[in-house]
Amino acid sequence: VSDVGLTTFSNLAFGVALVLYLVAMVGYFHHLAFRRRPVLVAARAFAFAGLGVHAASVVARGLAAGRVPWGNLYEYVSMVGLLVVAVYLLVVERMRRTEAAGGFALGVAVLAMAGATLLYTPPGPLVPALNSYWLRIHVVAAMLGSALFTLGTIFTVLYLFQTRRERRTVPEPARVPALVGAGAQAGPAQGSDLPEDLAEAEPEEGVSQRRGRLPPAAVLDRTAYRTIAFAFPIWTFAVIAGAIWAEEAWGRYWGWDPKEVWSFVTWVTYAGYLHARATVGWRGTRAAILAIVGFVALVFNIVVVNLVISGLHSYAGVQ
Amino acid sequence: MRTALILLLVVAVAAVFGSLVPQANTAPAAVESLYREHPLQAAIYETLGLFDVYGSWWFTLAYVLLLVSLVSCLIPRTRGTLRGLRRRPPAQGVQELETLKHFAEGVVPGGAEDALDRSRRVLRRRRFRVAREDGVLAADKGRAREAGSLLFHWSFLLLLVGVIYGKGFGFTGRATVIEGGTWAETHASYDLPPAEGRFFSESMHRAFRVRVLEFDADYHPNGVPRGFVSRVEILEGNRVVRAGRVEVNEPLEYEGVKMYQLGYGWAPVIEVRRDGRLLASGPSVFVTDDPSDLSRPWRGVVKLPSLRPQVGLELRLLPDPRASLTGSPMLEARDPFLFFQAYRGNLRLTAAQSVFRLDRRGLERWEGGGIALGETARLPGGVEISFPELREYTQFQVKRDPGLGLILASAIAMLLGLLPALYSSRRRLWVRAVPDGARTRLQVGGFALQRRSAFDEEFRRLVRELVR
Repeated sequence: VSDVGLTTFSNLAFGVALVLYLVAMVGYFHHLAFRRRPVLVAARAFAFAGLGVHAASVVARGLAAGRVPWGNLYEYVSMVGLLVVAVYLLVVERMRRTEAAGGFALGVAVLAMAGATLLYTPPGPLVPALNSYWLRIHVVAAMLGSALFTLGTIFTVLYLFQTRRERRTVPEPARVPALVGAGAQAGPAQGSDLPEDLAEAEPEEGVSQRRGRLPPAAVLDRTAYRTIAFAFPIWTFAVIAGAIWAEEAWGRYWGWDPKEVWSFVTWVTYAGYLHARATVGWRGTRAAILAIVGFVALVFNIVVVNLVISGLHSYAGVQ
Repeated sequence: MRTALILLLVVAVAAVFGSLVPQANTAPAAVESLYREHPLQAAIYETLGLFDVYGSWWFTLAYVLLLVSLVSCLIPRTRGTLRGLRRRPPAQGVQELETLKHFAEGVVPGGAEDALDRSRRVLRRRRFRVAREDGVLAADKGRAREAGSLLFHWSFLLLLVGVIYGKGFGFTGRATVIEGGTWAETHASYDLPPAEGRFFSESMHRAFRVRVLEFDADYHPNGVPRGFVSRVEILEGNRVVRAGRVEVNEPLEYEGVKMYQLGYGWAPVIEVRRDGRLLASGPSVFVTDDPSDLSRPWRGVVKLPSLRPQVGLELRLLPDPRASLTGSPMLEARDPFLFFQAYRGNLRLTAAQSVFRLDRRGLERWEGGGIALGETARLPGGVEISFPELREYTQFQVKRDPGLGLILASAIAMLLGLLPALYSSRRRLWVRAVPDGARTRLQVGGFALQRRSAFDEEFRRLVRELVR
């Protein structure tokens, strides 16, 4: 029982948002390359406009279906794209001046939405197994966690790129941190006794000109870490909430269903990343690679598990 | 810790195999077809335990090693933290205060003692732990980080203990109950013997009875199911102790045993008479070969061993023949129709066999036909088959898992530990008072082990308060 008008509006707004994001993305990349302030302002305006229209599309979709607008894969992917842009614009860009990442964040949203159009499903009711208040709790946490991990991955990739560039231009000794007073630490240096951001020592002046247009690697690394550290408890919660729901719906909290396996793999890999950052010899590039592997598992879980491997979580709604 | 980290990744990689190779317990059909089409590949998989990854020796080995490594990391860390709790913040490092990452000094009025007292109050108010040693204050903050991390890891271990405990003292089984019928929670009355934990004995079943009053499947107009509900009563002896509903997403719990709505189907009442004498009567459970295609008929079997020669009936039920004709799913009963094919000979009931199939090796085809609801078909030899009523049956998943409470509590504790473990930071601070005539020069130095950029601002604020 879906309202045709609302559905049409939702689809139209979806397309408009996609175009606005695309324009904003080009603007952000232009700013990254040529540093024109007005272009950045315009790009940001387009991004905000896109966000508003996208949100309207999602709301209309929910009204048309008469339920929360995250009941199948099309809606899920669209929502993750929305959250990536929203968190980027409303949180990341405000807290840290990292406009350099804007084009990438919007690019991810554009890709997600373009992918979603291939998965388009008309709005419809939910199958009974999905009809639970846990749909709000578990799926919202999963979407938010996915969006934050996505942003973390963008910063990780930029960090890897930038750190290679800096290594080519900055002589090694400049990156040794000044950890005076470390002798005051009691006990064996293990676990969280170690600082999380050793690489934080400011690079020398004069180096910055040769560093290119991206923020310093240390800043990118820190931003990536903060984003992932923010996402990790949310993802943990999503998995726990999913287990509680599975116990209610299927009579077992954990059954190694493909979806469960891959969210576990994602969780374990990001847990590995958090540990790696506190482990000598793993910090930096190796930790960054772990973060990227975690993201690959996340994307695999959304795309391959939903579309190729069948399991109990077959809610893609795609025929 | 490096070992634990590597083992964690090994467990993750191992888990992946289970999602890529069909698992015998969740996808037996896929395993069978692999055996048929690629016997060599299947044999290799079988040898490597890939059809049951999560029960295989190497998966078990990986996570047992992980647990051992985790415990061996946690015990010394916990001991160190507990010792650190009792110990006062160390005053070492104070000789080179000026060389610390953050350093500031200022002059305050009054004597050194007063200045230190005031500083101690300021730091205490900011929830620093403060110790005083000949003219120096040593302060630290952020022990929640380590405590949270320990809470997270111990809870993770406890969660696994809960899983093992719950599996050991619990069970899972399936029960099929026809509308109007009663089922008892005993080992023998499950469809198949229930999977019982190592420490669960058959006598631990609760033996209460469940009567199904009604089953109801509800669909949207487009055929998408809306909900499945079983209305049940729970009986102890002959007394109804509880009336309730079992629904998708809403299991019914009684005495620690949970019942979940798992499936449903049709159970036509079939009566067979010979020369007016009743040979068989009652509802029999019909199944469908493909639950995703409800336009196909449901099938069932009635075995009549008391006839000479023995007779077996293969039956096909169309709950809604008109829907079936157009290929639409038969969602409710509308003029239901029953086709039958009778076989004569030896049913071979001495061997174990499915209740849903006839063993046709000793049988020959006999009569066939069809009857609508309320009709009777007459076969040669005075045999009559009638179809007086159509009922539904409901299928429950029944389980007991006493570990759930512990698992949930540990999961919550994990989350609670995770927050300080990730977001709080450890900071160290020293304040030295050097008498300077009638006044005192305060030197403040410190560093943060995490979140150093945030500490810049915090340090500045602290110094402003200390050297006012």
